[in-house]
Amino acid sequence: MSGKGQVLSVGVDLGTSQSAIATSSGERHVVDSFVGWPVDMVAKKVIKKQVLIGAEALENRSLLDLHRPLEQGLIKEGSEKDVAAVREILGHLIGVATNGKEVKVRAVVGAPAETLRVNKQQLRQVMRGMVDGLIIVSEPFAVAYGLEALLHTMIVDVGAGTTDFCVMKGRYPTEEDQRTLTKAGDSVDELLAKLIAERHPEIQFTIHMVRGWKEQHGFVGEPTDKVLVHAPAHGKSTQVDITDEMRIACESLLPPFTETMYDLLAAVEPEYQERVRRNVTLAGRGAKIRGLAGRLEAALEELGGGKVAMVEDPVFAGAAGCLSIALDADETDWEKMSA
Amino acid sequence: MFEGISGADSRLKRRLLTGAVDDNLRAIENRPAGRLHRRAPFPWLLAAAALAVAAAGALVVAPRLGFGPFAEPSPGSLAPTVRADEPPSTGPATDPAAPPPRTPGAVFPVRIERIVIDPGHGGGDQGTKTPTGLIEKEITLDVARRLAGHLRTAGFDAVLTRDRDERVVLRDRARIANERGADLFVSIHVNWFQDGRANRGIETYFLGPSDDPFVTRLASAENLESGYSMTDVKRLLESVYSDFRQDQSRALAAAVQRRLVRSVRELSPEVVDRGVKSAPFLVLVETEMPAILAEISCLSNDEEAQLLAQSDYRERLARALSEGIQSYSLSVRKGG
Repeated sequence: MSGKGQVLSVGVDLGTSQSAIATSSGERHVVDSFVGWPVDMVAKKVIKKQVLIGAEALENRSLLDLHRPLEQGLIKEGSEKDVAAVREILGHLIGVATNGKEVKVRAVVGAPAETLRVNKQQLRQVMRGMVDGLIIVSEPFAVAYGLEALLHTMIVDVGAGTTDFCVMKGRYPTEEDQRTLTKAGDSVDELLAKLIAERHPEIQFTIHMVRGWKEQHGFVGEPTDKVLVHAPAHGKSTQVDITDEMRIACESLLPPFTETMYDLLAAVEPEYQERVRRNVTLAGRGAKIRGLAGRLEAALEELGGGKVAMVEDPVFAGAAGCLSIALDADETDWEKMSA
Repeated sequence: MFEGISGADSRLKRRLLTGAVDDNLRAIENRPAGRLHRRAPFPWLLAAAALAVAAAGALVVAPRLGFGPFAEPSPGSLAPTVRADEPPSTGPATDPAAPPPRTPGAVFPVRIERIVIDPGHGGGDQGTKTPTGLIEKEITLDVARRLAGHLRTAGFDAVLTRDRDERVVLRDRARIANERGADLFVSIHVNWFQDGRANRGIETYFLGPSDDPFVTRLASAENLESGYSMTDVKRLLESVYSDFRQDQSRALAAAVQRRLVRSVRELSPEVVDRGVKSAPFLVLVETEMPAILAEISCLSNDEEAQLLAQSDYRERLARALSEGIQSYSLSVRKGG
């Protein structure tokens, strides 16, 4: 991909549920991390495309071999189709960003905090030929960098597959500064689906519907309104009250989140612990669960109090942070990071 | 770059970027390579080799694996260890410190749900004991209870093989894990070094052969009260050393050892990382899931003993064990 003069820097948040891109030309795009290929010739004729991505794929899923290729923020192993699907998602995002222009693309991609080395290598392999330079960073680090919250801060990035915690100590975070939990959006969805099925066995629903309900109504603490949703029962649209189930499912995040915050805070040098407690930032789509910041703040009371704020734009905070890193990296850095 | 920000911020950002680039380079170049270091042979191999049931079990299996328990040991054949803070590197298949090959776990990512925690010793079997009255069976139970709490908070189902001061033979400990359908088995013990009170260190074992006399003697001591006959031992050991479970046990042991060492070194930088090792502990033999035995500390060392008397330190150990288990759990879910 050499011989191109203009450079386009991009930041990519490759997420289990959604993937987002932010570019140096000011473009921002987000896509549901779903890819589907027509199941047969008939489907191909109806769809008139070789592959569908994102919401389009979800809408036409009955005609598609549908893949959600990321699990806990990582490419699923053992399936060539999932690797191909990730390539399609990234290709789609980069294509939208470059808009068909011949430019040199330098990408910074966010991965879960405790991503194994083998997974990073796999991601690098997938992106080979797609970009000219590639840096893979931990997602919460990217968020922190984008917010310039670089010292004595904690980022809690609540994604679909993982929740990443990172304490910024003025250095590139090491393993001891970070934690990745699998208690995140998907685990809430799974629990919510289980609870609804137990209480309302007559209701028919899919995990996609449950995810939508959570994103619209998710809350912790006292409910402000009943959570009423519609789903078919024996073929007839029925209103169901899932307030209690929603609360239980969303609050399942609180004990592991609290424990992990305490754990990471205890590892901070004593003179800085209070500063970190007062600079906790929630990011990621899961951060939109109503009341989450308040409950975590209440949990910090046990340690002497703290402040938990939410990023302004949870969906793009990761991609924007990655873009900041891409823009700040100098030529020497990029020479080492050619893809 | 960095226009409009202070010099300190600019320097900080540069340091972070350099760190990010270095981290990527390490991943690309797959470095640092796991530096293997091998412990020197102990001189009293032959005396130790005759001890107790486990040693006999080790003798039964050793020839199949190319180890000759009565042969003169060579330095290269003795209990290789892996530094817990380094990734494993490639090595021969019989090297217990060699990285596991691609296992079914990588192909079929699994979810770890139930973990059986085994507090070593209990009842009349006190384990090791200090002159000041610290007893291994009490320490292991305390740490196990704390560990169970952490794991439950993290969403796991934690089961103890004993939740009070009672004698449970090794065979029953394994049976509990099997009957409860455990996904992992973690046995907690505290070490004792007879060859020097200055010794202190952490080591984590998975099931396998060993011709390290220290390890053999340790296994012999821990294998007392086993409840197994010699015939049982032969039958069990012949079937387990090279299976998938061993690879996963090794990975679990490495994750736990890494967290334990890191956590303890925050308080005691001089503590020795004695590594991940294989040994014929009978409590690991009949369990049907990945299983490890962690020697979380060392009662023969005065400083360690003083620390173990403090609840904060035992809490630290429990937390580190929990982190190691969670780290392993995450890696298998990822298919790692």
